[in-house]
Amino acid sequence: MSSRKRRRFSRDLQCVSFPDDASGHGVQGERREPPSLSSVSSAKSWDKCGDSFLDSPGIENLKSSGRKLSTIRKLAQKNPALVQTNAGHCIEDPVHIAWSSTDGEQSDDETQKQPPPQRPGRSMAPVRSYTRELCMLSTNKDDLPAIDTDSDLAESEDHVEKDSRQQISDCESESLVQQPPDLLPKPTNLTELEISGYMSDGESIGDSMTPSRLDSESFSLQTGEGSRRSVGDWVRSAQAMLQTPQKQLDQQSKTPEDSAKKRRKFQSGGLAERLNRLQCRQRSAISFWRHQSTSDTSTTTVDRPGVLVLDVLEVKEDCSMQLVHCAHQRPPGEGPHHSDPVSEERARVLVLFNRETAAQLIPAAGDIVHIYPPWQSLSTEGFSSDIILNTHFSQKVVPDCKPADTSVPRGLLSAGRCMPYYLGKIFGLLEVHRTTEENDAKVAVPDPLCSFEGPGEFPGQCLSLLEAVERLGQAGSVGQDVEVVVQRVFSIPLPDCSSWSSLKPRVPSRPSSAPPPAEQGKTRLCVLVQDSYDMFSMVQLHLLPCKDDILQYCQRWQGKTCVLRGIKVVQRVTRERRTRLFSLIDSLWPPVIPLKDHENTPNVSKESRPAGPALSFCYLLSDIVQSEMKSCRCSFFAKVLHKRVQSSDVGQGEVWLVLTDPSLQEEQPERPCKRTVALCVSTSCVLTSSVLEALRSPAACGLTFRDAITEHGVLLCAEQSVIEVCHDEPEGSLQSTTRQALLSQLLTEPQVQTLPQPVRLDPLTLDATPNSLCTLSGVIVGVDENTAYSWPACNYCGSDNLEVLPERPQNFYCESCKSAVEKPETKIQLEVFLTSASASNCTLKLKLQKRTIMSLLNTAALEGNEFPGYDVENVLGKEVGPLTAYIRVVTNKPAPWIGLEEICL
Amino acid sequence: MSSLLPAVAEQLFRDIQRTYRDTSHIPDDLLIALKFVFGPCALQALDLVDQRSVTCLSSPSGRKAFQVIGASGRLYTCFVSCHYCPCPAFAYTVLRRNEGLLCKHILAAYLCQAMGVTQQESVSDQQMSMLLSGTAAP
Repeated sequence: MSSRKRRRFSRDLQCVSFPDDASGHGVQGERREPPSLSSVSSAKSWDKCGDSFLDSPGIENLKSSGRKLSTIRKLAQKNPALVQTNAGHCIEDPVHIAWSSTDGEQSDDETQKQPPPQRPGRSMAPVRSYTRELCMLSTNKDDLPAIDTDSDLAESEDHVEKDSRQQISDCESESLVQQPPDLLPKPTNLTELEISGYMSDGESIGDSMTPSRLDSESFSLQTGEGSRRSVGDWVRSAQAMLQTPQKQLDQQSKTPEDSAKKRRKFQSGGLAERLNRLQCRQRSAISFWRHQSTSDTSTTTVDRPGVLVLDVLEVKEDCSMQLVHCAHQRPPGEGPHHSDPVSEERARVLVLFNRETAAQLIPAAGDIVHIYPPWQSLSTEGFSSDIILNTHFSQKVVPDCKPADTSVPRGLLSAGRCMPYYLGKIFGLLEVHRTTEENDAKVAVPDPLCSFEGPGEFPGQCLSLLEAVERLGQAGSVGQDVEVVVQRVFSIPLPDCSSWSSLKPRVPSRPSSAPPPAEQGKTRLCVLVQDSYDMFSMVQLHLLPCKDDILQYCQRWQGKTCVLRGIKVVQRVTRERRTRLFSLIDSLWPPVIPLKDHENTPNVSKESRPAGPALSFCYLLSDIVQSEMKSCRCSFFAKVLHKRVQSSDVGQGEVWLVLTDPSLQEEQPERPCKRTVALCVSTSCVLTSSVLEALRSPAACGLTFRDAITEHGVLLCAEQSVIEVCHDEPEGSLQSTTRQALLSQLLTEPQVQTLPQPVRLDPLTLDATPNSLCTLSGVIVGVDENTAYSWPACNYCGSDNLEVLPERPQNFYCESCKSAVEKPETKIQLEVFLTSASASNCTLKLKLQKRTIMSLLNTAALEGNEFPGYDVENVLGKEVGPLTAYIRVVTNKPAPWIGLEEICL
Repeated sequence: MSSLLPAVAEQLFRDIQRTYRDTSHIPDDLLIALKFVFGPCALQALDLVDQRSVTCLSSPSGRKAFQVIGASGRLYTCFVSCHYCPCPAFAYTVLRRNEGLLCKHILAAYLCQAMGVTQQESVSDQQMSMLLSGTAAP
């Protein structure tokens, strides 16, 4: 496969996506990138916009545009942002860039006469008081008190909003007051330098900018000499405004909320700092644009690229924003015709206006709205139309044919409000998900389930996996989305970099030299999915960077209806080839919900379909053991009584576990059952770190086993099985209630008992199975002298790698833990042959523990470091037990023989 | 017309998550979009993110909760399973006036999760139950 092709392949695979809250996390199509958020011009536009006011010579063309009083007020509010922008960025963005939305307004050669401005000249004090007045106006609104979350930035936005309303009312009353430039005093050279572009006809505003900002935000900078300051001063003070936190404010004692409100310093280089900067630019761009556009509302034709011309269809209010359903207007030139019925073919968009813009626009059905770039378009799953964000540069166009006075009562038209959204559903991101770029998919199409005919053609989404797969033939990806239910989520180890899909069935107990899954870096996420025709497929998804991630995917996807997108067929497997996989599928068969009548409901929408059956999780162990099925899957919770690790560490090789659960420990079980069950964790079962930790710990632990395989009377966890840790330390009442809740969740039996102490074990019988536990008593009939020995061991680390110190022969030096061992522990091993009444005619060989050996030998303590030796005659005929033993080997040939090892639970 | 904003928010979080995962960077467009959708609370939430103020507490029972250190140092416990924050802004802006989707603390939790910068901390089951039932000392 060429690298190019492979890349395409992986992209296809990333497109598997899921419609619910899980949708797309980690597996969403790459083709949505750069995400669903596309902006007509990226945020760089903001830089450009902001800078263009300051530096672009083109802006000077605008100087003749008329100004209304209210506009000036607004500018007075907005200017500081501009000043900040300039201070912060004029150096790095020196190039002027013509702003796209201004060229339409460049021909404003209005010559309206303007009365003198209310703000006289450049005297500072009146200006400041005026600003204060504005503030009072703003705070006077019969609004509920502001809450801490809105910083002063928010407040200033409120001002803007109020102000823009004011502006609208001015505008609509047609009593526009224009301000001739020559009536205003000359600007200072500084202001001219920086703000000349839009200040050309109202220069004194430039002076008032800074004070108004400072005033409203309680900055303590001295502003009185603003007009006399040099450029350097100006920039410095502007930078100070940008960056200097108000420490005095922080130090004041106040409520936590207050201090949060006043905290202005953002972490240098942080996201907040960046947004703050962007926001300042944006704000100045908006105010400038609005200032420009107010005199331009009668323009009805737009021939500039990037401008959305929309017919408003419906307006709703949603969380203080306005959500407007719109349709694209016909191509420019055709002109708006409001009498036309809204054509269904026209593309719909959803437009969001923030409170500020909405207050200015007051959109209503039938309006025509122009949205100028930079707007952003977001495509969201679940919404067929794009959503337009960042609609600050929006303008309502008064059409020629529309009588002007119809717009007067607009303020009374209140948009219908959306219901508050449901707080009980989170946005589905509160779990961390990481995915790798190396995606892969595998659709294995099992044979025997395809006993039905494919349905008819469904446009768009497909309900039948089989149909989608067969339609594409042998090559290529499945073009259609297929709706499926995720029945199981599991991970599989990657044997090596080659394809996972080996044709050979995996043997349950691989040699321990096989690559250890726990230590291997990579595991692959897989899901077993079922479509509504009950066709199963296994979909191989991306690699998991961390094995523990599987739990989150389980929680997220299992039992959910999802959409498979961009899948590709890797292999078609049959029952004979993949018995294990089919044992899992069989465990889900027959389906809980009967086959749907697809004939009558050909176009079931995603929303109206119920989620697939969730995992019915638990069986009891006793049921499993008595099951007649040769190979089946089962899920259960059990307590691990004993662990046998093949190699030095858990996870390196296969692990045998001896399990029990309360149902197996009942005093008088309803049916005869084994008290313990053996389970083998194969190396193909991926163990999460918490499971490894639990298995390494000597303490008994509770584990949940999902989709374990029962084969030949033995439980096996292999590929597709998932083990999780149950935390059930019975400490304190709280924990025990938690435990009860947890257990009752996991066990199908309503009554949950705790395990008896000590746990009950089966007495040793002839039908004992290997890797299980039993109780045993018997009489010693022989001693295996070949295995009887003792040796000194380090009493710190248990290692027998000791060296005699030459100077003090009684002392040792441990090579393993590099320490001197004064009194080494003496280890002792003895294996004896027993006869037992419960297993007569069977040779029992039992490896004894030291404690038992000592009691057998009647030795209170080992003398020195030397095992005193023993007399075989003294041991023979002695009774041992009852003791607990682990059954290592059971053979019947040539004669019944059971090898056991005494253990301590 | 069902509420659109939650879907928009969700999509933005997803975009942030994916972009940040791929590039360890959040482009300006997304910041601007966040600001547009969440208003002033976006800036404050990003500041909380910068300060790594969000911790995910988990207990052995498997329960989880988010704890956000507010700008004042006060701890706000936010739930994983639903949108709730004990801060006054949530009570006011979200619950009472329905003027915002989230408060800055929950928004910060989402952003931290999207960027994978949530601090992790284990607490006992008892501590968790006290936190969730509101009986823990703040």
